[in-house]
Amino acid sequence: MENQNKKKIGKYRIQEIMLTLMPGIALLVLFLMFCIAVISKEYMLSLYLKIIFNEGVVLALVATGAVFIYTLGSFDISLGASTLLSATLGVMTYNTTENLALMIIVIFATGIGCSLLSSLLASVFNIPVFVTTVAMMSVLSAISAQLITSNGGALGGISIPATLLKGLDNPPFKIVVLALWFAICLFVFNFTKVGRKQKFLGGNPVCAQLTGISVNKYAIIAFVMAGIGVALGAFLTIVYTPSVTTGTAGSIGMNILVAIVFGGMPISGGPRSKIYSSLVGGFSYILLTNFLKIVIDGNAGYGISQIISAVFFLLVVYIASMNYRTKMLPR
Amino acid sequence: MLETKPTDSNPLLKVEGIVMTFGTIMAVNNVSFALQKGEVLGLIGENGSGKSTITSVIAGMQKAKSGKMQFKGKKWEPLSMIDALHRGVGMVVQESGTIPGITVAENIFLGETDRFCTKFGFLNKAKMNQEADDVMAQIGAKDVRGSMLTANLDFQTRKLIEIAKVIMKKPDVLIIDETTTALSQNGRKILYNIISAYKKANKAVIFISHDMDEILNVCTSLLVLRDGKYIRTFKKAEFDEDEIRTSMIGRELKGDYYRSDFTASRSQELALSLKNVSYKDRIQDVSIDVYKGEILGIGGLSHCGMHSLGKVMFGALKPDCGSVTRGNGNPVKDEASAMAQNIGYVSKDRDVESLVLQASVKDNIAIAGMNKYALGNFLILDNRENAYVDEQIKTLSIKCSSRNQLTSQLSGGNKQKVVFGKWVGRGSEVLILDCPTRGVDIGVKQAMYQLMMKLKAEGKSIIMISEEMPELIGMSDRLLIMKDGKVMKEFARSQSLSDADTIKYMI
Repeated sequence: MENQNKKKIGKYRIQEIMLTLMPGIALLVLFLMFCIAVISKEYMLSLYLKIIFNEGVVLALVATGAVFIYTLGSFDISLGASTLLSATLGVMTYNTTENLALMIIVIFATGIGCSLLSSLLASVFNIPVFVTTVAMMSVLSAISAQLITSNGGALGGISIPATLLKGLDNPPFKIVVLALWFAICLFVFNFTKVGRKQKFLGGNPVCAQLTGISVNKYAIIAFVMAGIGVALGAFLTIVYTPSVTTGTAGSIGMNILVAIVFGGMPISGGPRSKIYSSLVGGFSYILLTNFLKIVIDGNAGYGISQIISAVFFLLVVYIASMNYRTKMLPR
Repeated sequence: MLETKPTDSNPLLKVEGIVMTFGTIMAVNNVSFALQKGEVLGLIGENGSGKSTITSVIAGMQKAKSGKMQFKGKKWEPLSMIDALHRGVGMVVQESGTIPGITVAENIFLGETDRFCTKFGFLNKAKMNQEADDVMAQIGAKDVRGSMLTANLDFQTRKLIEIAKVIMKKPDVLIIDETTTALSQNGRKILYNIISAYKKANKAVIFISHDMDEILNVCTSLLVLRDGKYIRTFKKAEFDEDEIRTSMIGRELKGDYYRSDFTASRSQELALSLKNVSYKDRIQDVSIDVYKGEILGIGGLSHCGMHSLGKVMFGALKPDCGSVTRGNGNPVKDEASAMAQNIGYVSKDRDVESLVLQASVKDNIAIAGMNKYALGNFLILDNRENAYVDEQIKTLSIKCSSRNQLTSQLSGGNKQKVVFGKWVGRGSEVLILDCPTRGVDIGVKQAMYQLMMKLKAEGKSIIMISEEMPELIGMSDRLLIMKDGKVMKEFARSQSLSDADTIKYMI
């Protein structure tokens, strides 16, 4: 019996380690699959890796901030629309004032403002915050489209001078921005009272309230963090492509949801939330979608790759939830 | 092969060699027993002995790692609790099993609403509500109507809904897991009547409880589990309280159970004051002063308003009028303000209001004590946090594989110790304990009482709200009896005080 127990304990620990490492292993596998696909099609690997890097950085930046919202067991589907509006207003500000600092201030103010508005509306009307983000997505997209088209961007979008931020369009700058933002979020998430309280709140809001944790206060903090992520994403989007169109960053809101779950984040948030899921999941998701685009050619390619991504998403959520259920004692 | 409860030739339910593990934890270790027709089998043991786990396997909540079961002579492998209930084995679980956002009728007929649909597919709510009224009336809870929103009902009423939901399926085996602690005297009477009817109808009941008097009165036989293993069986003729206790905990209880002194003692310094507090129809013009070094007991029937009063004291419910202030006169505005003034609150509804079940023991204990170990009141460092948590685990003797074990994997008593650790560790000066020993075994109960005595000796104030009159009498310096939201009577600590003295003020 004792030997059997030891075997079971060993098996359980291996399962735990495997589940922790799985997102990282998946990222590595996807990277290798992507490289093989690109090489086998005789495409230029360096060019494709650059695309992955640029798309991945923006997604990871926004997702890292969004982890704070997901930790609360909520989600924000309007993050893509916020990114678009931040970038739009930033470009318009520069084109009006030719002041780079002011442009950056407007981008950050817009990102944080949009995010805060969602949480404040939810708080005032006492409705789940994701409901307000659904409404915000439509409103922000419509405002951005109106601004872009009314400023002469109906066809090619609006843009800042191509040379203005060209000096920043290089991997070292983007890596520094991502590393700094990730380090700040990691610190807040894992080493401060704020992070601990947010994870607790996500686990059980009733218990958190009865432990003196204000639901509204920590929801607002989460949305401010997400807003900063949005602003950084919008800024790097402009660095990468100086023009903003109505389609810029449009799918980020949904992509983040899938990416964070790919990265090992429980969909219900709570104490098992992990900040690194944004990085691992962000790049995994970009690798997966680009891999599918390469492998599945033709008009049907986009639809099929979306379906495959969705199946992956359901699979990851299923595995994660099964693991959780086996850990429950009867209540 | 371990010794097992003797099995007769033709039992209603037969359980053989059940093994159940959760990760590294062996919850049930090769347990076998048989349940006869007309038997009320008390399943007893300390928290974590495996009682809830083995019954959850029988009721189809989860599958055993190994072992066999037979029900009415046939192989028993229920697919789910619903499947088990439809095939004759129903279980009322320990914690809340109702959905708050729907009506009583919708909870009772969950998954079966199709039968109330008209031929055009519309749900006939009136018919469903009427049937729910009938079901509740059948168990003796006429006041609970099918149209009521479950979220508006208290814990005891929600428990009665669960009981009704199971009983209406007329299962041959009824499993009642630590349910009576959630019920008032009236609720308990309803449940005892159901058990009695089961016995008469030659059906069977598996009854889990930590209340020794109740076990001795209700059960026809007892099966003792300890650390997941079968220990022994008691037939009705063999019932002996001391022997049962000793076999449950594997040792004799040493030291005092309740307080051995019968003199009320406290400091003159005020710790918490309520002045003319009213809250909806639950609390009416209540004024109470609590002093340092005092254990103030508050008792009454479940609906008397004492549970709401506990929340008002902690700032979790805002009174319609009146004030709650700390001894120095500072108001208690909300939970954060209460905590800032070193007030702690242990809720009756432990799994919902006091713990994050999918968080670790460490997360649950550490969350309330961050001010104690955070560097610069801001920075959380693992070594300081771990030391803080380990101290609480050691002080309260919490049985866990490590501080990182999920709280959901702990037994009821150890979960309650985690809640205590959360509040005691942060140095709460005033502790509001709402049913602190609900669902915990006698060993843990004794440990809780001893902790309360220690805290009293340290000059802390304890407000103990309970439906268990013996523990209130045994522990309190002063005892307040509430009825209909009012304090009806105050008793001073006395050796001569008994249940009978208090009951006329409760009913």
